[in-house]
Amino acid sequence: MELTVNGVSREVQSPPLTPLLFVLRDELGITGPKAGCQQGGCGACTVLVDGEPRRSCLAPLAAFDGAEITTVEGLGTPEKLSTVQAAFHEHYASQCGFCTSGFLVATHALLESTKDPSCHDVEAALAGHVCRCTGYVKILEAVEAAARGDVGEVSTVTRPQEGQPEVLVPGSPA
Amino acid sequence: MKAVGARLPRYDGVAHVTGRTQFVDDVRVGNLLWAKALRSTVHSAEIKGLDLSKAEKMKGVRAVITCADVPQNVYGHLEALGIPGDEPLLADGEVRYLGQPIALVAAEDEGTAMEAIEAIEVDYAEREPLFDIRKAADSNAPKIHQWGNWYTHFEDEMDRRQIRKGDIEAAFEMADTIVSGVYRPAAIEHIPLETQTALVVPEPSGRLTIYSCTQALYFSMGVVAAHLQWPLNKLKFVGGTVGGGFGGKVDTATETMSALLALKSGRPVKWRWTREEEFLCSSTRAPWHMEIADAVTKDGWILGRKMLTLHDSGAYARFSPYGLTKHSFHHTGAYTIPNLHFDGYVVFTNRVPTTAMRGFGVTSVSFATELHMTRVAQILGLDPFEIRLKNANRVGDTSPNGIAYADPSTVPTIQKIAEAIGHELPADYRSMNGEARQGELLPEHLVAQVGDPEAH
Repeated sequence: MELTVNGVSREVQSPPLTPLLFVLRDELGITGPKAGCQQGGCGACTVLVDGEPRRSCLAPLAAFDGAEITTVEGLGTPEKLSTVQAAFHEHYASQCGFCTSGFLVATHALLESTKDPSCHDVEAALAGHVCRCTGYVKILEAVEAAARGDVGEVSTVTRPQEGQPEVLVPGSPA
Repeated sequence: MKAVGARLPRYDGVAHVTGRTQFVDDVRVGNLLWAKALRSTVHSAEIKGLDLSKAEKMKGVRAVITCADVPQNVYGHLEALGIPGDEPLLADGEVRYLGQPIALVAAEDEGTAMEAIEAIEVDYAEREPLFDIRKAADSNAPKIHQWGNWYTHFEDEMDRRQIRKGDIEAAFEMADTIVSGVYRPAAIEHIPLETQTALVVPEPSGRLTIYSCTQALYFSMGVVAAHLQWPLNKLKFVGGTVGGGFGGKVDTATETMSALLALKSGRPVKWRWTREEEFLCSSTRAPWHMEIADAVTKDGWILGRKMLTLHDSGAYARFSPYGLTKHSFHHTGAYTIPNLHFDGYVVFTNRVPTTAMRGFGVTSVSFATELHMTRVAQILGLDPFEIRLKNANRVGDTSPNGIAYADPSTVPTIQKIAEAIGHELPADYRSMNGEARQGELLPEHLVAQVGDPEAH
């Protein structure tokens, strides 16, 4: 079978009933989507299939021959974050990081289809995603900022701005 | 201090939002085996028989382990402090909670490991389980733990954490009224999005590399070394990336067992708990039973407090004695009560062992003491904010364990809360501060302890 993952066409050999999550993680080595509950309940495994958010832990490979899959790795890179990624980073919407890739692709899909989402739209789009760290407020703030396009350039998001202290040891908490 | 108050970018933020953060489950190694545990299906039983033969013969099974394979099976999470161990890594002859691990399997894939577990036969002689700490603490209750039904290894081999301060009898004689209350917060599961996961790789040098999601890396290293009876320098721990913990990843859950399977099979072993295992078998926050009786005056002074706490430790001690100790130090809340009589017990039940969660031992006592402060105010017909401000910790007051407060924040905190919810305070309460007691805030019953940390 064949999948297009983050724009790259891949032949896959996993048995047809293998959950898409484990095709991505174990056969293709794409580990952004996480195994949180493996019951479709937490949203950590969410990927986009032809642009639509899907729970990859419950979805058998056989259903996706020829599909276009987008994971968090396909949204942006550390050097060039997508708007949604930059907003999540800037607004501290990711704490332990385990649920983050699911929230990011779901938010990405929402903003692709809805340019000016209401609070209700955001809550409906993220309702199936569990985050145990943030309490959701920072996530909602990030989604709203991303919807407004109100995010800094990568350089200002990832590096201290003028007047802010420098990170004392690169790669570690200040 | 230039980082305080600044909005610094998270050092791990970019990796998180690009999916590059490597959690334990994301580490790729070849030739991997999967671990699974045979877990007790009953709450309390003697194990009369254990038949591994079918599992051992199954295609794809590379190692099967029981307690006989563990160099030091019984260990205690506080053993490094000189407290005897009480918890077997794998059940030895009896099980004390539902989900307790009895045997382990490593197989070529997760499905085969699960099938092998199902092929193991266990013969249980079930016993009546105890779930209620009040019943377990009854001296006539059946004994469910080797030490009896409560922990007996506090300092000087006391069977409780006790605090005695001031003259409790005099306080109760002097009181206008006694206000009593019972508070019983329930167990809570931490539910980290990342379930307990370990990956153990045997190295050609004879060492083990252990990828761990532990919240307490060096502690977990000590636990693994103790069970294996190995020196620490044969273990290389890789950790620091935790997919949510909240206290639940302080206990060492999967590392030791995966290490034993890796040693027996000579292959890398991964164990990733299912969500069901996480809910069923991982440690929880403890349920508690707290009884408080306060000796109070009509005008809202708390002269003395008697308190009894039963901390549900589950089937084994783990860190519960430490949690109860913190609990005892905080049993007056953010308030000064000069005469105290506190007894706390770590009680064993046939529940999953309990552990730290977000303010180990303290959140429970804060819940009880804050509800109780409001109860005292209601019974006396006083304002709940005013009674808190009156009894608030001030400079020079002493904690239940005799520490003199240098800079207590109770007064400004309560004033801020009142302001935030629009609760009007009288002028003299609005202008209060946390400085040392004097005048009306230094009544006779508090004179003895102010500035004298030895007064307890």
